[in-house]
Amino acid sequence: MSALLAKRLGAIVMISIALAGVLFYLQKISPLDPVHARLGGQASASAVAAERHRLGLDRPEFTQFVDYVRGAVHGDLGDSYRTRRPVSTDLRAYLPATAELALSGLLIAMVLGVLLAFATTLRWKASSVLRPVLLLGASTPTFLLGIAGILLFYSKLHWLPATGRSSLADVPGGPTGLITVDALLHGRFDVFWDAVQHLIMPATAIALGPAVAIARVLRSSLVSDQRSDYARTARAKGLSEPAILIKHVLRNCVGAALSMTGLQVGLMFAGVLVIEQVFSWPGIGQYVAQSIPVADFPAISGVTLLLGVGYVVINTVVDLLQAVADPRIKV
Amino acid sequence: MHLAFGPAAEKTVTDPGASTSEAQAIEVASIEDLHVTFRRSGKDIAALRGVSLDIRRGEILGLVGESGSGKSVLGLALLGLLDARADVRGAVRVAGRDMAHCDQSARREVRRVHLGAVFQDPMTSLNPTMRVGRQVAEVAGSKDEAERLLGAVGIPDPASRMDAFPHELSGGLRQRVMIAMAVAGNPDLIVADEPTTALDVTVQAQVLTLLRSLRDEIGCSVLLITHDLGCAAQVADRVAVMYAGRLAELGSSAEVLARASHPYTLALLRSRLSLASDRTTSLLALPGEVPNPAAPEPGCAFAPRCDLAGPACLDAPPPPLEVRPGHLSACVVPAVEVTSRLAEVVRAAVVPHPEREPHNDDVVTLYRVQKSFRVGAGRTTRRLQALRGVNLTVGRGESVALVGESGSGKSTLLRIVAGLESFDGGKLEVAGPDCPQMVFQDAGASLTPWLTVGEIIGERLRGISRAERAAKVAQALAHVGLPAEVAKAKSAQLSGGQRQRVSLARATVVAPSILLCDEPTSALDVSLAASVINLIGGLRRELGMSVLFVTHDLSVARVVADRIAVMYLGRIVEVGDADQITSQPVHPYTQALMSAVPDMGREPVALRGEPASPLAPPAGCAFHSRCPKAIDDCGDALLDVRLTAVDRSAHHLAACIRATA
Ligand SMILES: Nc1ncnc2c1ncn2[C@@H]1O[C@H](COP(=O)(O)OP(=O)(O)OP(=O)(O)O)[C@@H](O)[C@H]1O
Ligand code: SF4
Ligand code: SF4
Ligand SMILES: [Mg+2]
Repeated sequence: MSALLAKRLGAIVMISIALAGVLFYLQKISPLDPVHARLGGQASASAVAAERHRLGLDRPEFTQFVDYVRGAVHGDLGDSYRTRRPVSTDLRAYLPATAELALSGLLIAMVLGVLLAFATTLRWKASSVLRPVLLLGASTPTFLLGIAGILLFYSKLHWLPATGRSSLADVPGGPTGLITVDALLHGRFDVFWDAVQHLIMPATAIALGPAVAIARVLRSSLVSDQRSDYARTARAKGLSEPAILIKHVLRNCVGAALSMTGLQVGLMFAGVLVIEQVFSWPGIGQYVAQSIPVADFPAISGVTLLLGVGYVVINTVVDLLQAVADPRIKV
Repeated sequence: MHLAFGPAAEKTVTDPGASTSEAQAIEVASIEDLHVTFRRSGKDIAALRGVSLDIRRGEILGLVGESGSGKSVLGLALLGLLDARADVRGAVRVAGRDMAHCDQSARREVRRVHLGAVFQDPMTSLNPTMRVGRQVAEVAGSKDEAERLLGAVGIPDPASRMDAFPHELSGGLRQRVMIAMAVAGNPDLIVADEPTTALDVTVQAQVLTLLRSLRDEIGCSVLLITHDLGCAAQVADRVAVMYAGRLAELGSSAEVLARASHPYTLALLRSRLSLASDRTTSLLALPGEVPNPAAPEPGCAFAPRCDLAGPACLDAPPPPLEVRPGHLSACVVPAVEVTSRLAEVVRAAVVPHPEREPHNDDVVTLYRVQKSFRVGAGRTTRRLQALRGVNLTVGRGESVALVGESGSGKSTLLRIVAGLESFDGGKLEVAGPDCPQMVFQDAGASLTPWLTVGEIIGERLRGISRAERAAKVAQALAHVGLPAEVAKAKSAQLSGGQRQRVSLARATVVAPSILLCDEPTSALDVSLAASVINLIGGLRRELGMSVLFVTHDLSVARVVADRIAVMYLGRIVEVGDADQITSQPVHPYTQALMSAVPDMGREPVALRGEPASPLAPPAGCAFHSRCPKAIDDCGDALLDVRLTAVDRSAHHLAACIRATA
């Protein structure tokens, strides 16, 4: 296991450096000039030159790149042109909200995906309702889903809040920054419940698409493994169909569903950035939305790098889980 | 080995309404006029067409038939595991329930309490992601019971195997795990569907012996499904022969062997190879193929292939009738007449082989050929020693068989001679202008699916006109006994036997100096195997080719080859004339292989253990870990056993320090 782990960690580092390189190059070929973005179009030539020098933009490109990567490795992503604070400080402020939303979305996607796969495989009655609802949800754009959710559950039914992460004033500041987790750590169930209510709509909106994708893959491998020789053996032992599915077939099928989950994480990040706008979620999506119009390159590349590394890390976890599920995968 | 089956021994009859007639006392299962029809792509496939059969308490009933005869369908019907879409008529009574028609939960109950199952491929039939201990405990009830069962089925050190996953066990051990699950809970009946087909010969004998001793100890019945009449007759008390979804013959093993009454059974017995088969004449192959189950004939299904078929056979399928007490045969011709009339036909069909002139030049010479493969990756890389110094010659026009269990390196050797694989050390000389041609076990996979047979065969014919090519293709097809129309078909439209013929036609359309055959008959039914063996022999004589034939079956080797080389763990341990090797084997391994060959009315003698791993061949004589004759010197790391002459005959060599003594 440790050999695989070491290899994977190495891969994460390599991919991240490569990603940093791509981002750096994109900045270079972009028609937007960060100096003009900061000083405005009317700045004098000497002011521009001074600013270029201050930002280190007049040095050789390779030196700039090496500095950029070295900085990134140490957590220094440069200063935001807009907020004038280090990008890493900004990200630390916005990340927990996004992480909480994305992780909740992932959890909901997996739960719904597994439920739907089971319901359709075992021909549960519920599947005739669950399937069309999820399919409809998955084929609707995320932001429309969010808006529809607000119209229905907030404006009409008043069941769920429509904006922000919490409506309470005294949210405990905790170790993780994830309100739900911190609330539980502090034993504040009222805060926890309030945060969950805020999470339900945005998290579900980003989860429906991935949920259906996961369900499709899981279902098709469940169905084909139900016809396998080992399932026949289990049947010959006198096990019932649900028992065969849960005790025998499921573990053989999680591999495929896990790879699909890993793939869907990328899509989900895109969904998060959009849905944060709809629900005024104080996360990275907001930060990006404010950075793009002013060509705040350090901020944008910092976010991209963070999401990229997040994607790679989650997929590494997926691979490790696959190896745990299937003893035939040598680690 | 002792089995004490406690709690489950007193079983409650699940159906309170079950009749307690006398019949119930001696039968664990009874099948009454069972019809099973599948629908596949709009066609009705009649898999079973009226089978009635009782399985008596404590008996082993062998169920024999060619591929597609409905054996597995019958087994699945007993387990109540037929596809829900199948149309099932008749009754399958087990423990007072009709497994064909009662509801799912009742079937489950019967399976759980009264039935056990062993399937063909233990690799796919065990859950690959669950530890074997848990899989057994699932039926055995507890971990302790599971461990005891693993010990009872002969798994060494069961405690340490409990936590193993199936892929960590050898094929033989996996099948033992399957058997442990089947006997758990002390069932009344075990359905074993080809339990030994996927195993090595020596392991096959071990598993058959195990099944039999388990039956003796716990008194369950066993339905032993197999395509090999010899294998069935060896361990079963009674044998049922099926043909095209119907019972052809049923009787005690001894009766069926000694006084087979159905023309089909007689044909199977004739085409079956044994160590006593006549080598000097061609085999008596059963002509034709199994009928198409989608278009059943109204009369006797065997009529198109039967030497005795007459007008009376074409009206209705003949029912099984008693020819002697307890011995049924489904044929319109009286039993006495069948035997006498067939004997006449057979006498006329025997074709003696022409004498072969002695050869004096060699087509293939191998000298100390070595080959190892890298397996694993990174720090876990190890070397698998597939060939550890092989010397062998094949003379012009000679046929040599390579015999050995899986992992002995026989296929690797063949691929090296074919030039498909490089080798690490030693020398290889192949004579002849053209390269060797190969025929594989899985003919279907070796034929390009989107090309027609004509194109596949014509590929080897370059630089001649279209008409010439078509003529040559037709001639090659005629040589292998196929009509010229087959040239237009694609391989998917052909049956297994036809595909093997096509790959032979491709290999011989330009006669090669040597034909390399890798188990070309092991995927075929007995009757087809015999005709393919006849075909290879005929082509060899006609075209003057040499043949190098790989097989795990000594009785096949004996009839196809002039000389036999026996391999164990990458070395030839004995080589000599086919008759010498099979009548007076001197190497303990050859002797073990001989006694493991399933044969009529003889208990198989099982060699202990399984082939050692080629990753770490034992020091000294590699066979010493299993050898019944081994002495201390055999395991000495300095010992280098070489092939030495037996009886001063330069022809017969063996690599054993005790062989010459
Ligand atoms: N689920 C199914 N759907 C459609 N046809 C089937 C099904 N199962 C079996 N058959 C058909 O029923 C016939 C009998 O099949 P069966 O598997 O019992 O043969 P068998 O005697 O066991 O052969 P083998 O020696 O190859 O195992 C075949 O023609 C087969 O194609
Ligand atoms: S009934 Fe006729 S065709 Fe069938 S086996 Fe007997 S003789 Fe042959
Ligand atoms: S050398 Fe020894 S171990 Fe090897 S076969 Fe001969 S007796 Fe057996
Ligand atoms: Mg079968």
